[in-house]
Amino acid sequence: MAETQNKAPEAGKSKSKAVKRLKATAAASAYQKQWFQDLKHRVETENLPFAYINADVPIEILRAMDIPFVVNQWWSAICSAKRMSKKYFGLLREAGYRDDLCTYCATPLAESLDPDDHAVDEEGKPLGPWGGLPKPTVAITRLCCDCQNKIFELFSKNWGAKLYVIDVTQTRKTPDKWWDLAPYYWEDLLDSDRLDEFVHDFQELIRFLEEETGHMFDKQKFIEVMHLINQQEEWYRKTRDLIAVSRPAPVTVVDTINAVMQAQWQRGTQWAVDHAKSLYEEVKALADAHDYAVPNEKYRLMWIGRGLWHDFEFYQTFEKKYGAAFVWSMYLAMGADTYIRYHVEEDPLRCLAARELPMQDVLHMPPWNAQWFVKEAKTNGIDGVVYMVPDSCMQNIEGSYFIAKALEEAGIPVLRFVADPVDPRKLSRDNMMAMVEEFIETKVIPNSDK
Amino acid sequence: MAIRDCAKQSKAFAALYDAYANRDKAALAWKEQGGKVVAELGTDVPDEIIIAAGMLPIRVASDPCKELNYANIYLEQAYEPSIFTTFEKIVDGTYDAFCDHLAVSHTSDFELRMWLYLREIRRSERQLRVPPVEWIDWLWVRRRMYQEENEKVVARFKDAVEKWTGRLITDEELEAAFEVCNDQHAALREVQALRRADKPRVTGTEALVIIGAGFFMDRAEHAKLVRQVAQDAQDWPELDGPRVFMTGTPQDSTDLYEAIEATGCVVVGEDHDWGDRYFSADCSTDIDPMLAVVNRYMLAPARTNRTLVADRVAALDADAAATKADGVVFYMHDRDVSASWDYPEQRKSLEAKGVKTAAFFRMQWPVSKNEDLPEKLAAFAEELKGERA
Repeated sequence: MAETQNKAPEAGKSKSKAVKRLKATAAASAYQKQWFQDLKHRVETENLPFAYINADVPIEILRAMDIPFVVNQWWSAICSAKRMSKKYFGLLREAGYRDDLCTYCATPLAESLDPDDHAVDEEGKPLGPWGGLPKPTVAITRLCCDCQNKIFELFSKNWGAKLYVIDVTQTRKTPDKWWDLAPYYWEDLLDSDRLDEFVHDFQELIRFLEEETGHMFDKQKFIEVMHLINQQEEWYRKTRDLIAVSRPAPVTVVDTINAVMQAQWQRGTQWAVDHAKSLYEEVKALADAHDYAVPNEKYRLMWIGRGLWHDFEFYQTFEKKYGAAFVWSMYLAMGADTYIRYHVEEDPLRCLAARELPMQDVLHMPPWNAQWFVKEAKTNGIDGVVYMVPDSCMQNIEGSYFIAKALEEAGIPVLRFVADPVDPRKLSRDNMMAMVEEFIETKVIPNSDK
Repeated sequence: MAIRDCAKQSKAFAALYDAYANRDKAALAWKEQGGKVVAELGTDVPDEIIIAAGMLPIRVASDPCKELNYANIYLEQAYEPSIFTTFEKIVDGTYDAFCDHLAVSHTSDFELRMWLYLREIRRSERQLRVPPVEWIDWLWVRRRMYQEENEKVVARFKDAVEKWTGRLITDEELEAAFEVCNDQHAALREVQALRRADKPRVTGTEALVIIGAGFFMDRAEHAKLVRQVAQDAQDWPELDGPRVFMTGTPQDSTDLYEAIEATGCVVVGEDHDWGDRYFSADCSTDIDPMLAVVNRYMLAPARTNRTLVADRVAALDADAAATKADGVVFYMHDRDVSASWDYPEQRKSLEAKGVKTAAFFRMQWPVSKNEDLPEKLAAFAEELKGERA
């Protein structure tokens, strides 16, 4: 496996030069900023309870309890996109922490050490990202790795928030084609005792939230939220399927990652459903009009790994020279395959458990992940896979050997390299580009020409 | 200092050293006599249940001399370096040669990921000689709800062991196994008392051998030898160097302790499971056996992985006080990162109590790869000696 060399990013670079073509992408970006400003204003002026949560915490429950929340990984990506990483890693270092660990999860912890988070400069511009995070009431995470609970604990302490940690066992089943079972037959897909346990967990979490916030769980609203999420993800499924069969593709990951990820953190709202629908309609219109993202598309690439939040331009680097387009990332495809759960009314909390339990398995557990990547690569007509393996995050160590082996056995070449999606110090763009170019020239093109 | 002549002259210590140095020897002999052997990956596999079933549990250990023919293929670089050799020995058939089963506990992220990989190898790459794998899926958040779930986890493991042996394990057999293990712990506490005394009579290096031998031999036999060593050591010379407590990556060899003690310090305790933490909790014989096993593992003092920082601070403060440590060495292998999040708060708390600290992050493995380590340890020892003077 190749490894990139450390090199600082271009200093002072504040905005990506990636060319995004969808209105839905711009709309999601604009909405999330306005949404955050509104949330921040309400929390700070109306003294509302505010939850800070990890990505694998069920947001459905918070939404049903009308508790505003921000998701750690989303906020980390915002901080990274705002080029706060260098400052924040310095703050971690000053406080005695290592500055090279858990960057995706620990960036907001670093922000909590920043005395200027809510300050403004001489011109009145905020120094913290979007004016800084409002003070959380509660911080909730799953014990999904050895570090996550510690990071959330330190974060909670710095903000004076109450910590809640959910523990969870591992999936014992290794089913074939989990995606066929997940929407309707999740009771067969998952270990029954684990579903029982997770429902119990959710009941405990609801009790904790009711006590800490004074907000009561609203079952009817919860059911509505579950349905809204199914609707949103159904639109993603249609969009994913449309891109899969469109040659050339109407959009690339530069649009879909941002459009989907930003809206995913709004899931369970009507806005998110409407946005997902608008995304589909826009992509459909482009496809119908033969308006392609990369008109000279010759090779379709799949990106496995977290998004390169600070460098989306990278994904477009190979379009002109090779006609190589990144058409697939997990963000849209996860929406399509991992969230949808029907039979909500029969037992809403159990249905939520069925959505949340396998979320880690789908991405990080062989053979769940490897089989899915192969299925997606085949249906999307992928010619090559570029796979960014994290350099230190054990939560995302997912059996890259098994994934690469499964893809290669399916006849799809794979480039694996080690990097950090948030910390640009660990990422040499030149090295990455050289690796991908060599991969395209020596593996993708010869394999496609067979 | 390391292992002194007085220890080498003890027949009991020599027997323990033999078991510690020749880690497969007792298991091979057990196997030759028709017994079954269970290899344990992770330090939270309930020995008691394996022993109750009449099988010999042995720990999977690293081996710096092992050539990595498989691990470099399967494992990503995020794994702690000693893990590579551990994994190699499982996948290359080393353990399959004399172990009937492999039990893996959710002790840290490393064990979890290795279990997933081994399960997948067993499923899809059957040409490799990996023993049948059983997963012990501990929940570590200290809440009654998870304690109850852990009782089911332990019961599931007991079911698996019963399937291995083809017979049920009785409560009487479990209780007898508890007594064997608790007695072994009690024997180890006798040595611990000598190690923690105002004038210690056992070095940290010797203690690691005494404790660690128990992971590779019959527990009752181990307890007898440990008790004999405890008796012999009453006459061993007292040690007078600065008292050091070690925390961080578990040490399954004596290399680091030898390096620390070469500076004149004495390692009077540690909070990892190849040392004192192993016998920090017993199985109660007057409660439900499943709950007794849960409590012995789940409620043991907080260790580096899967615990909260505040619990780690309290645990290390207590350990430093109990061992009257002059200094604490934080030693973490490269890629073993979770303890790094505890460190700043722990250091602050210790230093407020007058306990000196030295931190070693991103350490290469084995210890000998860190060329400047002896110099840095010597500087820390001088600092501690200066304080004592």
